[in-house]
Amino acid sequence: MSASTRPVRVAVPRGDLRTPVGERLAAAGFRAQGYLEGSRTYRFDVDGIEGVQVRVFSDQDIPIQVALGQYDLGIASGTWIDELLVRYRHDSVVPLRPLDIEGETLVVAGAPGADLASLAGAGIVRVATEYPQIAHHYLTRLRVPDYRLYEVWAQAEAWPPRDAELAIAPASAVAKEGLAVLGTVHRSGVWLIANREALATRDLSAALGPLLSLARATAEGGLVDPTPLAVTRGTSTVAPARERFRIAVPDGHAQRHTVAALADAGIAFPGYEATSSVRYPESGDPGIEVKVMRPQDMPRAVALGHFDLAISGRDWLRAFLATFPAAPVTELCDLKRSKYQMGAVISEDLPVENIEEAIALWRRDDPEFPIRVASEYASLADEYARTRHLGRYRVIPISGASEGFVPEDAEILIEGTETGTTLRANRLRMIDVIMESTNCVIGHATAPEGARGARRAEYVARLRAAAEAAV
Amino acid sequence: MPDRGLHSPGMRDFGPAEMRRFRAVERRFLDAVEGAGYLEIRTPTIEPLHLYTAAGTLSPQALERVYSFLDWDGWSGERVVLRPDATVAAARWYADAVRAGGSSTARVAYVAPVYRFAVDGDREVWQCGVELFGPAAAEGDAELLTLAATFLRGLSGGDFTVDLAHAGLVRAAFAAAGLSPTQQVEAYDLMLEGDAGVTERLAQAHPDQAASLRLLTGVDGASAGYIQNLRAAMLATVPAAAAPIDDLARTAAALDGTGVPYRVLAATARNFEYYSGVTFRFRQGSGTDGRTLLGGGRYDGLTQTLGGAAAPACGWGADLLRLAEVAS
Repeated sequence: MSASTRPVRVAVPRGDLRTPVGERLAAAGFRAQGYLEGSRTYRFDVDGIEGVQVRVFSDQDIPIQVALGQYDLGIASGTWIDELLVRYRHDSVVPLRPLDIEGETLVVAGAPGADLASLAGAGIVRVATEYPQIAHHYLTRLRVPDYRLYEVWAQAEAWPPRDAELAIAPASAVAKEGLAVLGTVHRSGVWLIANREALATRDLSAALGPLLSLARATAEGGLVDPTPLAVTRGTSTVAPARERFRIAVPDGHAQRHTVAALADAGIAFPGYEATSSVRYPESGDPGIEVKVMRPQDMPRAVALGHFDLAISGRDWLRAFLATFPAAPVTELCDLKRSKYQMGAVISEDLPVENIEEAIALWRRDDPEFPIRVASEYASLADEYARTRHLGRYRVIPISGASEGFVPEDAEILIEGTETGTTLRANRLRMIDVIMESTNCVIGHATAPEGARGARRAEYVARLRAAAEAAV
Repeated sequence: MPDRGLHSPGMRDFGPAEMRRFRAVERRFLDAVEGAGYLEIRTPTIEPLHLYTAAGTLSPQALERVYSFLDWDGWSGERVVLRPDATVAAARWYADAVRAGGSSTARVAYVAPVYRFAVDGDREVWQCGVELFGPAAAEGDAELLTLAATFLRGLSGGDFTVDLAHAGLVRAAFAAAGLSPTQQVEAYDLMLEGDAGVTERLAQAHPDQAASLRLLTGVDGASAGYIQNLRAAMLATVPAAAAPIDDLARTAAALDGTGVPYRVLAATARNFEYYSGVTFRFRQGSGTDGRTLLGGGRYDGLTQTLGGAAAPACGWGADLLRLAEVAS
């Protein structure tokens, strides 16, 4: 379907914004059937308005979808809009109206007592954030002479003070973590945005009319320009050497599998249970520190030398190494749990036997057709597209609601599946297996010396023996 | 954006004819500067981003146009850039050379591509230029201006005008009008883009500065007399303008000696933040809208910002392809 004849497409957020956005849309007479009610489907028609289609995305994916022109209009947080526009300011997103929905304020935070000028003047400043473009914009204007950005998946606030000097993260998360706010980086709201070309060339009025009647915020918010620090380049280059043995264990889906794997090996960390955890569980040994963090961020943390051991997934390790092949992190032991297959997923309705036939079909009418590959694992998607010779392709990074992308918003999805049930329910199928993932123990490519090295060897031996015995 | 087929936007191939012209101008440039004692250096295409993030190197506005990315070993969070500017790397080379026991006076030249995002036009610009480290402003500025004039005369026959400015003068005027360093950069960028209203807004907000601001940004100076007028108008309310005005007067006198016509304008060179003294721009023709052939200025603080010893420094650079277009 060509862009001029297809329905007007509107992208709306899932998660915390779903209810406030849904309520305001309904009040404005733009009722997407099932959206406010929390329906599990991804696409909705709009009551009484023909030719308009609504699709649910993760908040952070919406500006990208609108910029790509796959959606004409969208409602998303100002932080994610500016995360795109601050780098790609000539991009095709037009912010139309700030809505009266409260958004998160991004702040720069560090250990209580820290101050920005002292940190910036001392030498390299390590900054963890989910918002690397906004952080880069802020730090260059702050005139921090030398900094390293740790682009984390989530929980940037968990990195200071041991694993970074600063975090740029939502104010509420920073407060929960007990960090001190050192400055405001971005004041967010929720915005109605549009694709520039669609505004210029298509009749969007069926959706634009009611959406522009949504109540407007009194303030626009946005990026904050800090007063530049008057500091010169410092000389410190690395964090001080540590004595303690540090282990990272995952939260989220992998948590219960990890607790079970540790228990099989006779290891327990009070405070780290199957369904609950604290940031720093007890190790029972003053020489050992345990930290709970996202498994996606563990390969980087290990490569940086922050941890001697971490329990993550092979998928995250491989995705990290696909981006940074020289990073000094490696798999030490397979825990053989949480097994699933990662691969290329296409529409079940496509009459093909393999990916080569699929490529030929997509390019039947246009040899230059850019194949869209969507994935949470953008580096693996890129690697797949390169190694399978997709030719002209476009990687679309996504952060959730992935099963809804194929076939309308992408030709291929790089995705994991345990049983295939969810794929089948969404009329999808895996046509190429890229890898089998389980959770595993990872460590630095060079084993630490002395007591830390001995402890690493002991933990790995116990976890390996338990994993093999459980098979 | 037009369809560039198999080219990335802003990038182009050079065919044999273009390469012949390119090499001819490159040779004439190197002959001219080597004859004046400038030796060629080459710096890497990929540089660490932090080379450019400290105050006094590239402004935040310039940093928004650099090509930065994570290298294959960028897991440490260290970003790298495609060289956005040749001067900063040359200053780094000088700081290293002095640390290794080299002379505190250095004359270097380069021919290298620089990479900056542009909505339209080239994103890879082949630049040729020179940098002079060591001599103080009085002799250094005169030496570089004379070298530039000699080179351009040899290349295109001498049909050009010089626009002069002083970063310190604009900075002093803006600071006296209450602008923060960030606001100064933004106001300067607006002036560069031809927004005359920025000065008028400041003049209305600060009536005591109105005469100096209007004289500085609203009148194009064309002789040493203008510089004396600046002195009379500014020194009472902007004492910090004294040294910049002295620098301008000295540079104007040097140009008078070469016979090159000049104007004094407030805003000439880009990268306002790293220039500390006189800046200049050689423009084609005698009118006000000729294309820029070559530009540069004084940046005394740069080597120290990069961790080296403080050293007076100045330089100029030119778009080599543009020079090829005007070469006779």
